Amino acid sequence: MSLRRVLTCWSLSGRDLLRRRIVLLLIFLIPALFFGLTVLTTRNTVVLFKLAAAPGEPVVMVSERREALVFIGLAAAALIASFLGLNLAQRQVDATRRLVLCGFRSAEVSAAKGLLLICVMTAIGLWVTGLLIPWFKPAHPAGVLAGYVLTGFIYGAYGMVAGGLLKHELEGILCVVLLVNIDAGWLQNPIFYAEAQNRAVIRALPAYFPSQVAMLSAFSEHSVGVPLFRGILYGAVLLCIAFLILHQKLKIHGHLDPETGVS
Amino acid sequence: MIANAVSAEHLKKSYGRKRVLDDVTFGIRRGEIAAIVGENGSGKSTVLKILTGLLRPDSGILRVRGRAGYCPQECQLFESLTVHENLLYFAAAYRLEDWRKSERNLLARLRFESFRDEQVSKLSGGTRQKLNLAIALLHDPDVLILDEPYSAFDWETYLRFWDLAADLKRSGKTVLLVSHFVYDRSQMDSVYELKGGTLQ
Repeated sequence: MSLRRVLTCWSLSGRDLLRRRIVLLLIFLIPALFFGLTVLTTRNTVVLFKLAAAPGEPVVMVSERREALVFIGLAAAALIASFLGLNLAQRQVDATRRLVLCGFRSAEVSAAKGLLLICVMTAIGLWVTGLLIPWFKPAHPAGVLAGYVLTGFIYGAYGMVAGGLLKHELEGILCVVLLVNIDAGWLQNPIFYAEAQNRAVIRALPAYFPSQVAMLSAFSEHSVGVPLFRGILYGAVLLCIAFLILHQKLKIHGHLDPETGVS
Repeated sequence: MIANAVSAEHLKKSYGRKRVLDDVTFGIRRGEIAAIVGENGSGKSTVLKILTGLLRPDSGILRVRGRAGYCPQECQLFESLTVHENLLYFAAAYRLEDWRKSERNLLARLRFESFRDEQVSKLSGGTRQKLNLAIALLHDPDVLILDEPYSAFDWETYLRFWDLAADLKRSGKTVLLVSHFVYDRSQMDSVYELKGGTLQ
Protein backbone atom coordinates (compact mmCIF):
# COMPACT_ATOMS: atom_id res chain seq x y z
CA MET A 1 0.00 0.00 0.00
CA SER A 2 1.43 3.36 -1.02
CA LEU A 3 0.79 6.41 1.18
CA ARG A 4 1.30 8.68 -1.81
CA ARG A 5 -1.46 6.96 -3.73
CA VAL A 6 -3.77 7.01 -0.70
CA LEU A 7 -3.23 10.78 -0.47
CA THR A 8 -3.82 11.25 -4.22
CA CYS A 9 -7.05 9.27 -3.96
CA TRP A 10 -8.05 11.20 -0.81
CA SER A 11 -7.44 14.55 -2.47
CA LEU A 12 -9.21 13.72 -5.75
CA SER A 13 -12.14 11.95 -4.03
CA GLY A 14 -12.53 15.06 -1.87
CA ARG A 15 -12.62 17.36 -4.88
CA ASP A 16 -15.03 15.03 -6.61
CA LEU A 17 -17.35 15.01 -3.58
CA LEU A 18 -17.22 18.69 -2.67
CA ARG A 19 -17.75 19.92 -6.22
CA ARG A 20 -21.29 18.60 -6.14
CA ARG A 21 -23.66 21.46 -5.43
CA ILE A 22 -26.09 19.27 -3.46
CA VAL A 23 -23.29 18.24 -1.09
CA LEU A 24 -22.35 21.84 -0.28
CA LEU A 25 -26.00 22.80 0.07
CA LEU A 26 -26.55 19.98 2.55
CA ILE A 27 -23.45 20.80 4.56
CA PHE A 28 -24.26 24.49 4.92
CA LEU A 29 -28.05 24.56 4.87
CA ILE A 30 -29.17 21.55 6.90
CA PRO A 31 -27.58 22.52 10.25
CA ALA A 32 -28.61 26.18 9.84
CA LEU A 33 -32.15 25.18 8.93
CA PHE A 34 -32.46 22.66 11.77
CA PHE A 35 -31.13 25.12 14.37
CA GLY A 36 -33.33 27.91 13.00
CA LEU A 37 -36.48 25.80 13.22
CA THR A 38 -35.58 24.62 16.73
CA VAL A 39 -35.06 28.16 18.00
CA LEU A 40 -38.36 29.21 16.42
CA THR A 41 -40.42 26.35 17.81
CA THR A 42 -39.06 25.72 21.33
CA ARG A 43 -39.44 27.60 24.62
CA ASN A 44 -37.18 28.16 27.58
CA THR A 45 -39.31 26.08 29.94
CA VAL A 46 -37.47 23.61 32.14
CA VAL A 47 -37.45 19.92 31.24
CA LEU A 48 -36.15 16.93 33.18
CA PHE A 49 -34.31 14.00 31.68
CA LYS A 50 -31.91 11.22 32.64
CA LEU A 51 -28.30 11.02 31.49
CA ALA A 52 -28.39 7.38 30.49
CA ALA A 53 -24.64 6.87 30.11
CA ALA A 54 -23.70 8.43 33.47
CA PRO A 55 -23.38 6.22 36.58
CA GLY A 56 -26.76 5.97 38.35
CA GLU A 57 -28.54 7.75 35.47
CA PRO A 58 -28.71 11.16 37.19
CA VAL A 59 -31.57 13.49 36.32
CA VAL A 60 -30.76 16.95 34.98
CA MET A 61 -32.97 20.00 34.67
CA VAL A 62 -32.34 22.15 31.62
CA SER A 63 -34.09 24.54 29.28
CA GLU A 64 -36.18 22.76 26.64
CA ARG A 65 -34.61 24.90 23.91
CA ARG A 66 -31.06 24.06 24.95
CA GLU A 67 -31.76 20.35 25.10
CA ALA A 68 -33.44 20.49 21.70
CA LEU A 69 -30.56 22.48 20.18
CA VAL A 70 -27.91 19.96 21.27
CA PHE A 71 -30.12 17.11 20.06
CA ILE A 72 -30.97 18.64 16.67
CA GLY A 73 -27.25 19.23 16.03
CA LEU A 74 -26.79 15.46 16.29
CA ALA A 75 -29.60 14.81 13.84
CA ALA A 76 -28.09 17.32 11.36
CA ALA A 77 -24.60 15.78 11.61
CA ALA A 78 -26.04 12.26 11.21
CA LEU A 79 -28.09 13.19 8.14
CA ILE A 80 -25.19 14.89 6.34
CA ALA A 81 -22.72 12.15 7.26
CA SER A 82 -24.92 9.29 6.10
CA PHE A 83 -25.54 11.05 2.79
CA LEU A 84 -21.82 11.68 2.25
CA GLY A 85 -20.94 8.10 3.18
CA LEU A 86 -23.56 6.85 0.76
CA ASN A 87 -22.10 9.02 -1.98
CA LEU A 88 -18.55 7.88 -1.32
CA ALA A 89 -19.47 4.22 -1.66
CA GLN A 90 -22.15 4.35 -4.33
CA ARG A 91 -21.12 6.92 -6.92
CA GLN A 92 -18.85 6.18 -9.88
CA VAL A 93 -18.11 2.61 -8.93
CA ASP A 94 -17.19 1.77 -12.53
CA ALA A 95 -14.57 4.52 -12.70
CA THR A 96 -13.19 3.47 -9.32
CA ARG A 97 -13.05 -0.12 -10.48
CA ARG A 98 -11.14 1.01 -13.54
CA LEU A 99 -8.64 2.68 -11.21
CA VAL A 100 -8.17 -0.65 -9.44
CA LEU A 101 -7.80 -2.38 -12.79
CA CYS A 102 -5.06 0.11 -13.70
CA GLY A 103 -3.07 -0.52 -10.54
CA PHE A 104 -4.69 1.03 -7.46
CA ARG A 105 -5.22 -1.40 -4.61
CA SER A 106 -8.77 -1.56 -3.29
CA ALA A 107 -7.30 -1.11 0.23
CA GLU A 108 -5.78 2.20 -0.90
CA VAL A 109 -9.15 3.36 -2.22
CA SER A 110 -10.91 2.30 1.01
CA ALA A 111 -8.28 3.94 3.22
CA ALA A 112 -8.56 7.19 1.24
CA LYS A 113 -12.35 7.19 1.49
CA GLY A 114 -12.30 6.44 5.22
CA LEU A 115 -9.77 9.23 5.80
CA LEU A 116 -11.85 11.63 3.73
CA LEU A 117 -14.95 10.78 5.71
CA ILE A 118 -13.18 11.49 9.02
CA CYS A 119 -11.80 14.84 7.72
CA VAL A 120 -15.15 16.00 6.32
CA MET A 121 -16.98 14.96 9.48
CA THR A 122 -14.51 16.83 11.68
CA ALA A 123 -15.15 19.96 9.59
CA ILE A 124 -18.92 19.43 9.80
CA GLY A 125 -18.66 18.84 13.57
CA LEU A 126 -16.85 22.17 13.93
CA TRP A 127 -19.47 23.90 11.76
CA VAL A 128 -22.43 22.48 13.73
CA THR A 129 -20.79 23.27 17.10
CA GLY A 130 -20.03 26.78 15.83
CA LEU A 131 -23.70 27.25 14.96
CA LEU A 132 -24.80 25.99 18.39
CA ILE A 133 -22.59 28.24 20.51
CA PRO A 134 -24.31 31.61 19.76
CA TRP A 135 -27.54 30.11 21.19
CA PHE A 136 -26.14 28.11 24.04
CA LYS A 137 -22.68 27.64 25.52
CA PRO A 138 -22.35 23.98 26.60
CA ALA A 139 -20.51 23.02 29.79
CA HIS A 140 -17.83 21.37 27.67
CA PRO A 141 -17.92 22.55 24.02
CA ALA A 142 -15.08 20.19 23.04
CA GLY A 143 -17.14 17.25 24.30
CA VAL A 144 -20.16 18.35 22.29
CA LEU A 145 -17.89 18.68 19.25
CA ALA A 146 -16.65 15.14 19.93
CA GLY A 147 -20.27 13.93 20.05
CA TYR A 148 -21.03 15.53 16.68
CA VAL A 149 -17.87 14.21 15.04
CA LEU A 150 -18.61 10.75 16.47
CA THR A 151 -22.16 10.86 15.07
CA GLY A 152 -20.66 11.78 11.71
CA PHE A 153 -18.13 8.97 11.90
CA ILE A 154 -20.71 6.31 12.79
CA TYR A 155 -23.39 7.50 10.38
CA GLY A 156 -20.82 8.10 7.61
CA ALA A 157 -19.71 4.49 7.99
CA TYR A 158 -23.36 3.38 7.99
CA GLY A 159 -23.91 5.38 4.78
CA MET A 160 -20.93 3.62 3.21
CA VAL A 161 -22.35 0.23 4.18
CA ALA A 162 -25.71 1.18 2.64
CA GLY A 163 -23.97 2.57 -0.46
CA GLY A 164 -21.98 -0.62 -0.83
CA LEU A 165 -25.01 -2.87 -0.53
CA LEU A 166 -27.58 -0.91 -2.51
CA LYS A 167 -27.14 -0.24 -6.19
CA HIS A 168 -29.59 2.60 -6.73
CA GLU A 169 -29.25 6.05 -5.23
CA LEU A 170 -32.92 6.39 -4.31
CA GLU A 171 -32.94 3.14 -2.32
CA GLY A 172 -29.78 4.27 -0.56
CA ILE A 173 -31.19 7.68 0.34
CA LEU A 174 -34.37 6.09 1.66
CA CYS A 175 -32.37 3.63 3.73
CA VAL A 176 -30.18 6.27 5.39
CA VAL A 177 -32.92 8.89 5.88
CA LEU A 178 -35.22 6.35 7.53
CA LEU A 179 -32.70 5.28 10.16
CA VAL A 180 -31.43 8.81 10.80
CA ASN A 181 -35.00 10.00 11.33
CA ILE A 182 -35.95 7.23 13.70
CA ASP A 183 -32.67 7.02 15.58
CA ALA A 184 -30.89 10.39 15.64
CA GLY A 185 -34.08 12.38 15.05
CA TRP A 186 -36.35 10.70 17.58
CA LEU A 187 -35.36 7.72 19.77
CA GLN A 188 -32.12 9.21 21.09
CA ASN A 189 -33.82 12.33 22.37
CA PRO A 190 -33.25 11.94 26.14
CA ILE A 191 -36.75 13.20 26.90
CA PHE A 192 -38.23 10.33 24.90
CA TYR A 193 -35.60 7.86 26.14
CA ALA A 194 -36.46 8.49 29.80
CA GLU A 195 -39.97 7.06 29.33
CA ALA A 196 -39.22 4.50 26.61
CA GLN A 197 -39.67 0.74 26.87
CA ASN A 198 -37.09 -1.77 25.68
CA ARG A 199 -34.26 0.69 26.05
CA ALA A 200 -31.75 -1.98 25.01
CA VAL A 201 -33.04 -1.51 21.45
CA ILE A 202 -32.34 2.22 21.63
CA ARG A 203 -28.89 1.60 23.10
CA ALA A 204 -28.02 -0.65 20.15
CA LEU A 205 -28.74 2.03 17.55
CA PRO A 206 -25.89 4.04 15.92
CA ALA A 207 -26.61 7.42 17.51
CA TYR A 208 -26.79 6.21 21.12
CA PHE A 209 -23.13 6.69 22.12
CA PRO A 210 -22.64 9.99 20.26
CA SER A 211 -25.84 11.43 21.72
CA GLN A 212 -24.69 10.46 25.22
CA VAL A 213 -21.29 12.06 24.63
CA ALA A 214 -22.94 15.28 23.45
CA MET A 215 -25.56 15.40 26.25
CA LEU A 216 -23.09 14.57 29.05
CA SER A 217 -20.70 17.24 27.75
CA ALA A 218 -23.40 19.85 27.29
CA PHE A 219 -25.19 19.48 30.63
CA SER A 220 -22.92 17.75 33.16
CA GLU A 221 -19.44 17.27 34.54
CA HIS A 222 -19.50 13.51 34.06
CA SER A 223 -16.72 11.82 32.10
CA VAL A 224 -17.49 10.89 28.48
CA GLY A 225 -14.63 8.38 28.22
CA VAL A 226 -16.74 5.20 28.17
CA PRO A 227 -19.43 6.26 25.64
CA LEU A 228 -16.75 7.92 23.50
CA PHE A 229 -14.67 4.76 23.40
CA ARG A 230 -17.70 2.55 22.71
CA GLY A 231 -18.84 4.92 19.99
CA ILE A 232 -15.45 4.83 18.29
CA LEU A 233 -15.55 1.04 18.47
CA TYR A 234 -19.09 0.98 17.01
CA GLY A 235 -18.01 3.25 14.15
CA ALA A 236 -14.81 1.27 13.53
CA VAL A 237 -16.78 -1.98 13.22
CA LEU A 238 -19.19 -0.36 10.74
CA LEU A 239 -16.28 1.11 8.78
CA CYS A 240 -14.60 -2.32 8.58
CA ILE A 241 -17.85 -3.79 7.23
CA ALA A 242 -18.02 -0.93 4.70
CA PHE A 243 -14.41 -1.62 3.62
CA LEU A 244 -15.12 -5.34 3.18
CA ILE A 245 -18.15 -4.57 0.99
CA LEU A 246 -16.16 -2.02 -1.00
CA HIS A 247 -13.33 -4.49 -1.45
CA GLN A 248 -15.78 -7.06 -2.75
CA LYS A 249 -17.29 -4.51 -5.14
CA LEU A 250 -13.92 -3.49 -6.54
CA LYS A 251 -12.53 -7.00 -6.71
CA ILE A 252 -10.70 -7.99 -9.89
CA HIS A 253 -8.79 -11.12 -10.85
CA GLY A 254 -5.69 -9.49 -12.31
CA HIS A 255 -4.29 -6.02 -12.87
CA LEU A 256 -3.37 -4.41 -16.14
CA ASP A 257 -0.04 -4.39 -14.42
CA PRO A 258 2.36 -1.70 -15.57
CA GLU A 259 5.31 -4.04 -15.18
CA THR A 260 4.21 -7.55 -16.01
CA GLY A 261 0.93 -7.44 -17.89
CA VAL A 262 -1.96 -9.82 -17.29
CA SER A 263 -1.36 -13.52 -17.17
CA MET B 1 9.53 -16.10 -34.92
CA ILE B 2 7.59 -13.22 -33.37
CA ALA B 3 6.14 -14.00 -29.95
CA ASN B 4 2.46 -13.51 -29.41
CA ALA B 5 1.61 -10.34 -27.50
CA VAL B 6 -1.77 -11.78 -26.56
CA SER B 7 -2.45 -15.48 -26.47
CA ALA B 8 -5.39 -17.52 -25.26
CA GLU B 9 -5.31 -21.28 -24.99
CA HIS B 10 -8.42 -23.39 -24.57
CA LEU B 11 -10.39 -20.77 -22.71
CA LYS B 12 -13.64 -22.04 -21.26
CA LYS B 13 -16.23 -20.12 -19.34
CA SER B 14 -19.78 -20.94 -18.27
CA TYR B 15 -22.38 -18.96 -16.38
CA GLY B 16 -24.27 -21.64 -14.48
CA ARG B 17 -25.21 -24.27 -17.07
CA LYS B 18 -24.77 -21.93 -19.99
CA ARG B 19 -21.40 -22.31 -21.70
CA VAL B 20 -20.33 -18.97 -23.08
CA LEU B 21 -16.79 -19.75 -24.23
CA ASP B 22 -15.96 -23.21 -25.48
CA ASP B 23 -12.29 -23.92 -26.06
CA VAL B 24 -11.31 -20.53 -27.44
CA THR B 25 -7.73 -20.36 -28.67
CA PHE B 26 -6.10 -17.49 -30.48
CA GLY B 27 -2.82 -15.62 -30.71
CA ILE B 28 -2.12 -12.04 -31.69
CA ARG B 29 1.42 -11.17 -32.63
CA ARG B 30 3.34 -8.15 -31.50
CA GLY B 31 2.72 -5.19 -33.80
CA GLU B 32 -0.60 -6.48 -35.10
CA ILE B 33 -3.96 -4.78 -35.25
CA ALA B 34 -6.54 -7.47 -34.59
CA ALA B 35 -10.25 -7.59 -33.94
CA ILE B 36 -12.55 -9.99 -32.18
CA VAL B 37 -16.03 -9.54 -33.56
CA GLY B 38 -19.31 -11.14 -32.75
CA GLU B 39 -22.99 -10.54 -32.25
CA ASN B 40 -24.64 -9.90 -28.90
CA GLY B 41 -24.35 -12.98 -26.71
CA SER B 42 -21.48 -14.45 -28.73
CA GLY B 43 -19.11 -14.33 -25.76
CA LYS B 44 -17.24 -11.22 -26.87
CA SER B 45 -17.74 -9.35 -23.58
CA THR B 46 -16.68 -12.43 -21.64
CA VAL B 47 -13.43 -12.63 -23.60
CA LEU B 48 -12.90 -8.94 -22.92
CA LYS B 49 -13.55 -9.31 -19.19
CA ILE B 50 -11.13 -12.21 -19.01
CA LEU B 51 -8.56 -10.21 -20.99
CA THR B 52 -8.75 -7.30 -18.60
CA GLY B 53 -8.81 -9.35 -15.41
CA LEU B 54 -12.40 -8.60 -14.48
CA LEU B 55 -13.36 -12.25 -14.79
CA ARG B 56 -11.55 -15.52 -14.26
CA PRO B 57 -11.96 -18.29 -16.88
CA ASP B 58 -13.13 -21.74 -15.73
CA SER B 59 -10.11 -23.19 -17.48
CA GLY B 60 -7.49 -22.24 -20.01
CA ILE B 61 -4.57 -19.86 -20.09
CA LEU B 62 -4.46 -16.25 -21.12
CA ARG B 63 -1.27 -14.27 -21.51
CA VAL B 64 -0.82 -10.60 -22.25
CA ARG B 65 2.86 -9.80 -22.64
CA GLY B 66 3.90 -6.32 -21.57
CA ARG B 67 1.89 -3.41 -20.27
CA ALA B 68 -1.76 -3.42 -21.23
CA GLY B 69 -4.08 -0.46 -21.69
CA TYR B 70 -7.85 -0.87 -21.60
CA CYS B 71 -10.44 1.45 -23.07
CA PRO B 72 -14.01 0.45 -22.05
CA GLN B 73 -17.00 1.11 -24.27
CA GLU B 74 -18.82 3.19 -21.66
CA CYS B 75 -16.70 6.11 -20.53
CA GLN B 76 -15.56 5.26 -17.01
CA LEU B 77 -14.48 8.68 -15.78
CA PHE B 78 -14.83 10.88 -12.71
CA GLU B 79 -17.55 13.32 -13.68
CA SER B 80 -16.81 16.15 -11.24
CA LEU B 81 -13.08 16.14 -11.94
CA THR B 82 -11.39 17.91 -14.83
CA VAL B 83 -9.69 16.17 -17.76
CA HIS B 84 -6.31 16.88 -16.15
CA GLU B 85 -7.41 15.55 -12.75
CA ASN B 86 -8.73 12.34 -14.34
CA LEU B 87 -5.36 11.83 -16.02
CA LEU B 88 -3.60 12.59 -12.72
CA TYR B 89 -5.73 9.96 -10.98
CA PHE B 90 -4.90 7.26 -13.53
CA ALA B 91 -1.24 8.29 -13.66
CA ALA B 92 -1.14 7.51 -9.94
CA ALA B 93 -2.80 4.15 -10.62
CA TYR B 94 -0.18 3.33 -13.28
CA ARG B 95 2.56 4.50 -10.88
CA LEU B 96 3.85 7.02 -13.42
CA GLU B 97 6.37 9.57 -12.21
CA ASP B 98 6.83 11.70 -15.30
CA TRP B 99 3.59 11.73 -17.21
CA ARG B 100 3.07 15.44 -18.06
CA LYS B 101 4.76 15.06 -21.44
CA SER B 102 2.60 12.07 -22.21
CA GLU B 103 -0.47 14.11 -21.17
CA ARG B 104 0.50 16.99 -23.48
CA ASN B 105 1.14 14.63 -26.39
CA LEU B 106 -2.16 12.79 -25.98
CA LEU B 107 -4.21 15.96 -25.61
CA ALA B 108 -2.58 17.35 -28.75
CA ARG B 109 -2.79 14.10 -30.67
CA LEU B 110 -6.47 13.63 -29.94
CA ARG B 111 -7.08 17.36 -30.26
CA PHE B 112 -8.67 18.26 -26.97
CA GLU B 113 -5.97 20.39 -25.29
CA SER B 114 -8.46 23.23 -24.80
CA PHE B 115 -10.58 21.00 -22.54
CA ARG B 116 -7.72 20.17 -20.14
CA ASP B 117 -9.23 22.14 -17.26
CA GLU B 118 -12.91 21.43 -18.03
CA GLN B 119 -14.95 19.18 -15.77
CA VAL B 120 -15.88 15.90 -17.45
CA SER B 121 -19.59 16.49 -16.74
CA LYS B 122 -19.45 19.48 -19.11
CA LEU B 123 -17.81 17.64 -22.01
CA SER B 124 -19.52 16.32 -25.15
CA GLY B 125 -19.78 12.55 -25.71
CA GLY B 126 -16.95 12.60 -28.28
CA THR B 127 -14.55 14.49 -26.01
CA ARG B 128 -15.31 12.11 -23.14
CA GLN B 129 -14.48 9.21 -25.43
CA LYS B 130 -11.18 10.89 -26.30
CA LEU B 131 -10.35 11.13 -22.58
CA ASN B 132 -11.45 7.51 -22.14
CA LEU B 133 -8.96 6.52 -24.84
CA ALA B 134 -6.24 8.86 -23.53
CA ILE B 135 -6.40 7.13 -20.13
CA ALA B 136 -5.79 3.78 -21.81
CA LEU B 137 -2.76 5.22 -23.64
CA LEU B 138 -1.30 7.30 -20.79
CA HIS B 139 1.27 4.72 -19.68
CA ASP B 140 2.39 3.90 -23.22
CA PRO B 141 1.02 0.34 -23.19
CA ASP B 142 2.46 -2.49 -25.27
CA VAL B 143 -1.00 -3.93 -25.83
CA LEU B 144 -4.05 -1.74 -26.26
CA ILE B 145 -7.42 -3.40 -25.68
CA LEU B 146 -10.38 -1.43 -26.99
CA ASP B 147 -14.05 -2.16 -26.46
CA GLU B 148 -16.17 -0.59 -29.23
CA PRO B 149 -13.74 2.33 -29.26
CA TYR B 150 -15.27 4.53 -31.91
CA SER B 151 -18.96 4.39 -31.03
CA ALA B 152 -19.02 8.06 -29.94
CA PHE B 153 -16.38 9.41 -32.35
CA ASP B 154 -17.17 11.86 -35.09
CA TRP B 155 -15.75 11.14 -38.55
CA GLU B 156 -12.59 13.21 -38.05
CA THR B 157 -11.82 11.58 -34.72
CA TYR B 158 -12.51 8.18 -36.25
CA LEU B 159 -9.88 8.83 -38.95
CA ARG B 160 -7.49 10.21 -36.34
CA PHE B 161 -8.00 7.05 -34.30
CA TRP B 162 -6.85 4.92 -37.24
CA ASP B 163 -3.80 7.14 -37.73
CA LEU B 164 -3.00 6.59 -34.07
CA ALA B 165 -3.53 2.83 -34.38
CA ALA B 166 -1.21 2.75 -37.42
CA ASP B 167 1.45 4.66 -35.46
CA LEU B 168 1.14 2.24 -32.55
CA LYS B 169 1.53 -0.67 -34.96
CA ARG B 170 4.63 0.92 -36.49
CA SER B 171 6.20 1.26 -33.07
CA GLY B 172 5.61 -2.44 -32.39
CA LYS B 173 2.52 -2.09 -30.22
CA THR B 174 -0.42 -4.44 -30.45
CA VAL B 175 -3.97 -3.22 -30.82
CA LEU B 176 -6.91 -5.49 -30.09
CA LEU B 177 -10.41 -4.31 -30.85
CA VAL B 178 -13.48 -6.05 -29.54
CA SER B 179 -16.54 -5.00 -31.46
CA HIS B 180 -19.92 -5.97 -32.90
CA PHE B 181 -18.39 -5.60 -36.32
CA VAL B 182 -15.49 -3.80 -37.96
CA TYR B 183 -16.10 -1.04 -40.47
CA ASP B 184 -12.85 -1.42 -42.28
CA ARG B 185 -11.30 -4.85 -42.45
CA SER B 186 -8.41 -3.53 -44.56
CA GLN B 187 -7.01 -1.85 -41.45
CA MET B 188 -6.80 -5.20 -39.64
CA ASP B 189 -4.08 -7.81 -39.70
CA SER B 190 -6.46 -10.42 -38.39
CA VAL B 191 -10.14 -10.68 -37.52
CA TYR B 192 -11.53 -13.40 -35.26
CA GLU B 193 -15.23 -14.04 -35.27
CA LEU B 194 -16.87 -15.43 -32.17
CA LYS B 195 -20.00 -17.48 -32.75
CA GLY B 196 -21.74 -19.44 -30.06
CA GLY B 197 -18.70 -19.31 -27.83
CA THR B 198 -16.19 -20.60 -30.38
CA LEU B 199 -13.91 -18.86 -32.81
CA GLN B 200 -14.71 -19.18 -36.50
